[in-house]
Amino acid sequence: MKKIALVTIFMTALATVAFAGTIHGKVSGVSGESVVYVEGVAGKTFPAPTQHITVDQKGLMFVPHITAVAQGTTVEFLNSDSVAHNVFWPSISGNKKLGHNLGTWPQGQRKSFKFDDPGIVPLLCNVHPEMSGYVIVSPTPYFAVTDKSGDFKIDNVPDGAYTVTAWHEGAKNKSNPVKVAGDTTADFTLSK
Amino acid sequence: MNGKSFSFVFAAVLAILCALVVLSLPPSADAIPAFSRRYGTSCTTCHSDFPKLNDFGKAFKDAGFKFPKDDESFLKTPPVLLGAPAQAELWPHTVYPGSIPGLLPIGLRYNTYFQQVSANRNNFNLALPAGTVGNFIPKSDFEPGYFSIFTAGNFGTGISWWVDDDISVAGANVNGALGDGYLKFNDLSRFLKLPKDSLNLRAGQFELDLPFSQARTWNLSGWDIFSQANIGVQNGLAPAQNVNNGLALEDAANGVEFSGGHAYQGYHYSVAVFDQNTTGVFSNPPNVAPQNAIAYSSDSNFKDLYGRFVYRFNLEKDPASRNEVQAAGTTGPRDHTYLALGTFYFYGRTVQPFSGVLSDGVTPTVLTAREPFYRIGGDVNFNYRTFNVFGVYVAAHDHNLLPVTASGAAGITGFTPSAAATFSGGFAEADYLALPWAMTIMRWDQVKSTADRVNFIEYDPSAPPPSSFFSPYSATRNRFTPGEQFLIHANIKASIEYQIRPQQIVYNPATGLPLTGPFRTNALIVGLEFVY
Ligand SMILES: [Cu+2]
Repeated sequence: MKKIALVTIFMTALATVAFAGTIHGKVSGVSGESVVYVEGVAGKTFPAPTQHITVDQKGLMFVPHITAVAQGTTVEFLNSDSVAHNVFWPSISGNKKLGHNLGTWPQGQRKSFKFDDPGIVPLLCNVHPEMSGYVIVSPTPYFAVTDKSGDFKIDNVPDGAYTVTAWHEGAKNKSNPVKVAGDTTADFTLSK
Repeated sequence: MNGKSFSFVFAAVLAILCALVVLSLPPSADAIPAFSRRYGTSCTTCHSDFPKLNDFGKAFKDAGFKFPKDDESFLKTPPVLLGAPAQAELWPHTVYPGSIPGLLPIGLRYNTYFQQVSANRNNFNLALPAGTVGNFIPKSDFEPGYFSIFTAGNFGTGISWWVDDDISVAGANVNGALGDGYLKFNDLSRFLKLPKDSLNLRAGQFELDLPFSQARTWNLSGWDIFSQANIGVQNGLAPAQNVNNGLALEDAANGVEFSGGHAYQGYHYSVAVFDQNTTGVFSNPPNVAPQNAIAYSSDSNFKDLYGRFVYRFNLEKDPASRNEVQAAGTTGPRDHTYLALGTFYFYGRTVQPFSGVLSDGVTPTVLTAREPFYRIGGDVNFNYRTFNVFGVYVAAHDHNLLPVTASGAAGITGFTPSAAATFSGGFAEADYLALPWAMTIMRWDQVKSTADRVNFIEYDPSAPPPSSFFSPYSATRNRFTPGEQFLIHANIKASIEYQIRPQQIVYNPATGLPLTGPFRTNALIVGLEFVY
């Protein structure tokens, strides 16, 4: 019996290794951080992440400038400044029906919002029109923010065929079909 | 040709041109892109329709051109330290440490105008003898405006400064003038254990603490009452007056000012002591040269006094929000709903020296008329969301001493009090920010001055009154000025106003009888300006 159990554990471990790959690559053609995410798969849903993500307002800026989250994530908007801010987005991926205004709150306090709709959320402040930030709501838990040179790595993507999209502020999105089998490479070249 | 009527017409033309220039060119100074660069933020952080300040801008100004709290955390370029902060512990054995901005804090502004004047603009030519070539005011005109530089900021430890200067005006480099130039010691109250910001001191040249700044107005033309001088009846018609007070409330003052409180909430006061100069003459005597040979800016030993008190009631329901710099709206911070009530008082004493004789009737002497004067006013300012309505009323009173000549004397021998020279008036204005980039304005300006009207009847060209208005039809001059302003960007503005000007009339210079019925020289002014 002991032997069988060990074999089972071994087989299970092998199966996990064999069927979960990574996507890594480089986003070029633009400079600075980009976001790469796996588009939704028909018939597949993912549980909403329980971990909350914080976007700060500090020194008249959204910090970080770009935040990527999975669909269903609750984002807490913190105001670290001694001045009043406002957080709103006019649309999500251009859909104005999904626009929302969170209002104003004092220094040190937070206001939460659960992003149930995937897409690009441009964060704005109606007191400081120069303030700019982005929340990229990925339809899957498979996403990454690139480093400044454009390199990224998305872990734990089950093997299979996907559409992978790269987003960069001010550039045109690019979606490529990617067949994930183990360690897979996917490069993107974006243009403004 | 009759020399007298020629010089009358010349003076009249001059007066009309002055009126056009004074009415169409706003005073200088503006929003300050230096701060925009320093904090990496838009003009709209402090201005609704620049240079009109929003509540945050008022608090920023009150704090000595700093963010009211945690200023350092907003600076995008660190200041250059003129001493490590710890040097303060060594004081007085070291220079007290301060700082200067890391970026040269300079803002520039340029504006340009177009104006169109109504058909009766050349009516004054009616007073010319037949066949005389008169002066000409064009129907429409493009004009250069101001090119101004301004610099302001904070040197750390609560010391702030402001300097603005017009490098060129109307295309002429020589016309530029200093606007404000002062150093301000903010929150001296902290040394005296008084409430925060209850005592500041500024010294230098500054615009008086008027209820609404004429130097930094957002209108294309200034408010008439602030540019009104008090010139008594001087053309021989009754009642003859000896008041010749060229001072206007908009004039820059040189002196010191104590102030305290806040513009965005609660009380604000100021008390200023400054040079008296009602003649506009700066003396520069050769024997006792003033500092660095710069002319003395006083024309009298008397120092004028100006005081102001205003209380602003923020009317938000939520008491926490009421005391904040900005009100918390459901969709973001905004200006408070408020009612501010204020009052101001100006006291001065003009000096007019005359050649006269002693009581013996023959010995020459200099006789001096000292005529105390005051300006007193009240103001109200109400704001609801993006609708702002406000007004000012001013009453002016100059004690009038008429020269008298004793019988048989060879010159004047003294003065006798006579009917005071007065004027009154004010303005009301409504600003509606229909969109964040479009403001609709309606203004009503009124000035009541009997002397201004009388001075143009049987006008004496040899002693023209320095009024900018040409032959007012009545003692009460009303001007209505609807306007619209558009922010093309946060720093570029297009402004339009239509001035329905006070009624005027042309008199026959020989008889003093009217040559025309009352008419208005209305004007459409378009301005384009940008700051950077
Ligand atoms: Cu903000």
